[in-house]
Amino acid sequence: MVLLSVLINTGVLAQSTNHQIAGTIKDTKGQPLVGVNIQLKGTTTGTTSDANGKFLLNVPAIPCILTFSYVGYLRQEQTVGSGMLNVILADDPKNLNDVVVVGYGTQKRKDVTGSIVTVDPQRLDSSLPNNNIAQAMEGAVPGLTVTQSSGGAEGSASIMIRGQRSISASNSPLIILDGIPYNGNLTDITPSDIGSIEVLKDASAAAIYGSRGSNGVIIVTTKKGKSGAPLISFNESYGIDKLSDIPPVLSPQAFYAYKMVRNPGAITPSEQAIYNAGTWTDWEKLATQTGARDQSTISVSGGGDNVKYFTSLNYVDAKGVAVNDNFKRLSSTTTLDINITKWLTFGSSTRLTFDDRSGLPASLTGDYSAFTFNPLTTPYQPNSKTLTVYPWPEDTYYANPLAPTLVDNTNYQYQIYSTNYLEVKLPVKGLSYRINTGVTHSDQNDNSYYGSGTKTGFEDQGEINETADVVNSYTIENLLNYNRTFGKSSIFFTGLYSYEDDITTGTALVATGFPNDVLTIYQANVALHSSNAAAYSKATLLSQMARLNYSYDSRYLVTLTARRDGSSDFGPDNKYGTFPSVALAWNITNEKFMQGINGIDNLKLRLSYGSNGNQAIPPYSTFAQLGQSSYVNGTVTAPGYIPTTLANPLLHWETTNTLNAGIDFGILKDRIQGSVDLYSAQTHDLLLSRTISSVNGISSIYQNIGKTANKGIDIGINTVNVKNQNFSWTSNITFTLNRNKIVDLYGTGKSDTANNWFIGHPINVNFGYKYLGVWQTTDNLASSPQPNTQAGYAKVADLNHDGQIDGPDRTILGSALQPSFTYGFANTFRYKSLSLYAFIQGVQGITELNTTLSDNVNTDVEKNTYVKNYWTPTNPTNDYYANARLLASPIYQPNIYNVGIYQNASYMRVKDLLLSYDFASETIKKLKMRKLTVFLEARDLFTITPFKGFDPELSSASSIPILTKEFLVGVNVGL
Amino acid sequence: MKILTKILICCALIASVPSCKKSVLTETPPQIITADNLYVNYNGFENGLNGLYSLVRRCRSGINSADPTNDIMFEVNVSGVDNSYGNYSGTPYNSWGAASNPAFISYSRIWAYLYQTVDAANTIIGRVPANTNMTDDQKNQILAESRLMRAWCYRHLVNLWGAVPLVLTESTGLTFKTDFTRTPVTGVQAAMESDLLFAEQYLPVTNANDGKVIKGTADHYLAELYLTEKQWAKAKDYASRVTTNPSYALITNRYGVNAANPGTPFTDMFIDGNSDRSQGNTEALWVLQNELNVTGGEGNNIMRRYWVNRYYSLTEKGTDGKATSPFVVTIADGGRGIGRLSPTQFALNLYSPGDDRGSNFAWRFSYAINNPAGIPKGDTLNQVIPVPYNTIEKISNPNWPSTTKWDYANTQNVNVTASYNDQVLIRAGEDYLFLAEADFEMGDLTDAATAINALRTRAHASLVTSSQITLDFILDERSRELFSEEDRRYTLLRTGTWITRTNLHNNITKNLITTRDELLPIPQDVIDANLGKTFPQNPGY
Repeated sequence: MVLLSVLINTGVLAQSTNHQIAGTIKDTKGQPLVGVNIQLKGTTTGTTSDANGKFLLNVPAIPCILTFSYVGYLRQEQTVGSGMLNVILADDPKNLNDVVVVGYGTQKRKDVTGSIVTVDPQRLDSSLPNNNIAQAMEGAVPGLTVTQSSGGAEGSASIMIRGQRSISASNSPLIILDGIPYNGNLTDITPSDIGSIEVLKDASAAAIYGSRGSNGVIIVTTKKGKSGAPLISFNESYGIDKLSDIPPVLSPQAFYAYKMVRNPGAITPSEQAIYNAGTWTDWEKLATQTGARDQSTISVSGGGDNVKYFTSLNYVDAKGVAVNDNFKRLSSTTTLDINITKWLTFGSSTRLTFDDRSGLPASLTGDYSAFTFNPLTTPYQPNSKTLTVYPWPEDTYYANPLAPTLVDNTNYQYQIYSTNYLEVKLPVKGLSYRINTGVTHSDQNDNSYYGSGTKTGFEDQGEINETADVVNSYTIENLLNYNRTFGKSSIFFTGLYSYEDDITTGTALVATGFPNDVLTIYQANVALHSSNAAAYSKATLLSQMARLNYSYDSRYLVTLTARRDGSSDFGPDNKYGTFPSVALAWNITNEKFMQGINGIDNLKLRLSYGSNGNQAIPPYSTFAQLGQSSYVNGTVTAPGYIPTTLANPLLHWETTNTLNAGIDFGILKDRIQGSVDLYSAQTHDLLLSRTISSVNGISSIYQNIGKTANKGIDIGINTVNVKNQNFSWTSNITFTLNRNKIVDLYGTGKSDTANNWFIGHPINVNFGYKYLGVWQTTDNLASSPQPNTQAGYAKVADLNHDGQIDGPDRTILGSALQPSFTYGFANTFRYKSLSLYAFIQGVQGITELNTTLSDNVNTDVEKNTYVKNYWTPTNPTNDYYANARLLASPIYQPNIYNVGIYQNASYMRVKDLLLSYDFASETIKKLKMRKLTVFLEARDLFTITPFKGFDPELSSASSIPILTKEFLVGVNVGL
Repeated sequence: MKILTKILICCALIASVPSCKKSVLTETPPQIITADNLYVNYNGFENGLNGLYSLVRRCRSGINSADPTNDIMFEVNVSGVDNSYGNYSGTPYNSWGAASNPAFISYSRIWAYLYQTVDAANTIIGRVPANTNMTDDQKNQILAESRLMRAWCYRHLVNLWGAVPLVLTESTGLTFKTDFTRTPVTGVQAAMESDLLFAEQYLPVTNANDGKVIKGTADHYLAELYLTEKQWAKAKDYASRVTTNPSYALITNRYGVNAANPGTPFTDMFIDGNSDRSQGNTEALWVLQNELNVTGGEGNNIMRRYWVNRYYSLTEKGTDGKATSPFVVTIADGGRGIGRLSPTQFALNLYSPGDDRGSNFAWRFSYAINNPAGIPKGDTLNQVIPVPYNTIEKISNPNWPSTTKWDYANTQNVNVTASYNDQVLIRAGEDYLFLAEADFEMGDLTDAATAINALRTRAHASLVTSSQITLDFILDERSRELFSEEDRRYTLLRTGTWITRTNLHNNITKNLITTRDELLPIPQDVIDANLGKTFPQNPGY
């Protein structure tokens, strides 16, 4: 039998009449595909398509079968005869032969045992010119929530995977950039430089990162070059930002009336004069503007057989919605992959960034916020464009909200982020050694001079404020990899030994008392008073890890991992923690009994159990620190110190054990693909900043106590709803449900009211008195649990019916950070060359404090306040209590318990609408272009929410809790 | 050869890994100071004392260190009392009742501040005895100062809350407590007495360093403690130690920076440049130190801000009926105050004619027009406009007299919020009143009259006879002498007269206080945090 086949084979080869097959390969949009792998089935004969999608292949005989494969597209086989061949490859939303980055290496997706999600490449495509990676991932990864925390020119966001696990340690996932842990800001990574993002969600996937992996891991890899002619891309976008849904404040006339009711004696002559003359000021208009963002990127990638490169240059020029909020960035990324010899590979990825944040924005928050500034004040000197130092002459506490625009501020930051690796293929087959190194250096200088035109400068006779911060990080990783296949079994072993060092140093100078403003920051040596400060912080991490992947016939997969981490943050006897994990997976579709079933294209079951650690307490938390509190002896400083922290030498790793069961599926020829994960995570030895009795002198201490549990379900589904010649519609749906609760605190089963931690409830809850409405004249005021109640007072629930409003009447009022569920729904519609991408995101079941429902104007009504439906005898509403009036006796105080009003803050938001048009390749070929796309985009277009306060998504700690809508237009060119 | 090269390269790479000594993970912070490395020698302990003094200095700044320009720490002692009130709306110290409840954040902050200072004192006191780098004299000096300041904290705690936890050892991360108990008032007072007696023994009579406490300071607080405990003889003993010591003589003549200008000996003591003992103020027993533009000199002192009224908000109508603001902030007018605390009409009417302490050097009864842009029609620049007090006191009233004791502004910024002058915290004048009170309680009215007359002579007021001495008279005299200086609430509570006198003389708080309010409620967070034992609340809350 063997002899016969050999004869037949040689017979076939002996014929050897060369036939040439020529053809073009395009995608469903008609764009040529470069670098497609074309092979004569069953042989090694093959070629790749060129820059125009064309190929030529010599085959021994026709007809023959050619296979076409390309990352991101469904593999095709075609029987080919003579004549020109036109092949169209269809998109593959989830290619199982894709290689997935799993941490310290890659695996084929079908071999993965953990819960890993790849962010849809379209989200990273340069036609979605996102502000930062967090925006690119929003709603695209089930279980991942992104909270925008600032609306400024630069913008920032925080990410959480599968809910909050830790109470006081960080809940941010670990970010790995090009193999090295990345401690910088997400906003510093240009999305168009990114080749792939993988999110590792369960313990097994994250286990290789042991410590810091308990919040999940996000692996970001920069684009790499590909062999072939250089590909040039140019992207340009321009967008405008507008503040929207600003809660209204009282009009100047209404403000005057409000003040006359609340405290008529507090009206000052200057306010009265402005009111009489009608010359009031719209501060919001003066301090805000339409923001703008201009972003350009140019990149080149290419390579030969042994060298591949990718380099890009990116420029951002942004103006925020606050006047004088400017941000400029120039950055470059270069990646090189070089095969020095057959057994030695070198790779490098270097990013250089320069940020210019000069200029202080007008005040939009705090006491000087332009939104709530007293409208009966004067912004400019009479008949001039010079700003007033004191817009309200009778109250010199209030500075001009526009004063920051006068500050001479320069703020520059230089950053280098460079990772380099050397990989050696060792003489033993399948064994390789790799050394990864990473270096980060960041240098930021922020210098301000406050001159006599500002309140600070006027009162201090000029003020210099300088800070210099330097951050250095070094990482060295030694990896040993062993990769072998023995028959049906294959083994993949990884061993790691790594060292990481993070050092932060900073200096600050404050100097006041100058003869004039001429020299600005260059006159610190003649200051009447100056003080310097220096800061230093260093953290070190030393780790060992071993991982073994075993797969039998690509059907049964096992992964075993163990990691041991030592951190300098912990006490001398507790530096190390060990984190093991095990994962199993079963590729059901590869089983013989599944071969006959046509409807199911992919079915995989996964089960994992493992532990991860979290150590994000600040360095030096095990020391009992003294803080500076100095005195004077005459005119001489008498340095003094007082105890400020309590030491806990027993601090150790916070650990999370997670059980994850998942199923990956693909049905109906992969028209519906998805995964469902169920998980249960138990965290113990939580690192808590625990509030203790103030009788101890210091009210808080870090301890390892308590247990929390997170249980939930992540669902992610991709569907191809409609697909025909000219029109297609695909959807991506994500749904996450996470239930977080505190299981135990101090071992006694009791809750801790002082910290708002209650057994059986989420970590983060709102706790306080419950607001029921307003006491009406028709109510039985004498029965009120609040003494001396009058009509118009806030009604507070007396939950224990004891006739008093006190401690036991406080209750849990929902949570702002633990939703019932979150969801994302993305749709892509394509009609010929036009495509529309729409993304909706929603959060359901959160309750937030409505901060606009409080007065916060001070006794003398110094600030404006938000429009409220106040109770009056003729307007007996339950919305809000009466405007506090001044009566001689008894004193009228509608809200002595300071009860806050909490409201449902669930929301659904149309986060993204993107309309883009791809010019057909024939049209643009004349311009020598490979690709030309123009697009229009609208972000955060509208929101549906019952919440009546500030934007429900922006955290209340955000600098500007008002949403900005963004409208962009742009073009992507490929050459 | 190729294989050898490969192996050599691998070895080179592995060797580049840093040594895996465990010491790599040891933290050695260069920028952190701990009690273990500070309190090793005399200088270190002196630094600790400086820290304690800076904490005590916070008693005249805001409750919230994040916002120290508002809510002066011990406002509760001078509001809702017979001779002063809160001149603004919304303060629980005027209305009491439901507004004075355990959730009121100011109570929590005052409590936390006092115990923070106690812990700082305990840290020093606990580490002194074992130290081997100091002489016995040095040790006793450090202990004397720190123990006095610890007693000072408990004085406030026990007066405001009654029975409080008595903590005499430093708190550490491994020994902090969650099961505090309330030590009865007598127990706390016994600890205070022990601390003050030790301090009295080892403190010097005078100290070249103006900010330090001296023997007279301890005598003073002992006299007050014994009066509270009704130990009249001991009170008289310690008060006399001050009144008979020439080092603590009353200021009876003009002196200091303002001597050449019109004024009185009484008011000279409070002028910036006169308050320290080294500047001639022999009467001072404890002076809080502040200094402009010096590190450590920022005390966030808001006495002037609270006691000086808002004269710049006053409006006057001219003959044309139009209202203008005739006054701008000047140094001569005392600087910029927001008038949060004001005298009651009763306090203003206590002075007999000729009493320096009721003169227009001690009080602002009028202002001269100094705003050229705001002269009412019919008036002229520099015209004097009186500030009448012939009606009862009102809330949010800028048109009311204020004391000059805390005047402060500087040429750099006339609107400056904080005060940077050195201020007398306690002085020998009060010890004459302690003496009079002890005498009165023991029946020696003659000696009481002598003590009071010493003060009245200095103030050029008419003298009194022994038949005029009653408890009310002594309390009235205390107001005349110590208005806005003393913790009035404590004085009235220890004499059992807080409710009666406040109801009689304070028209804002009249009939709003009950016996429950004689003690403040224990802050809710203290009760919540006492997980080990229930922390009993004061009655009525």
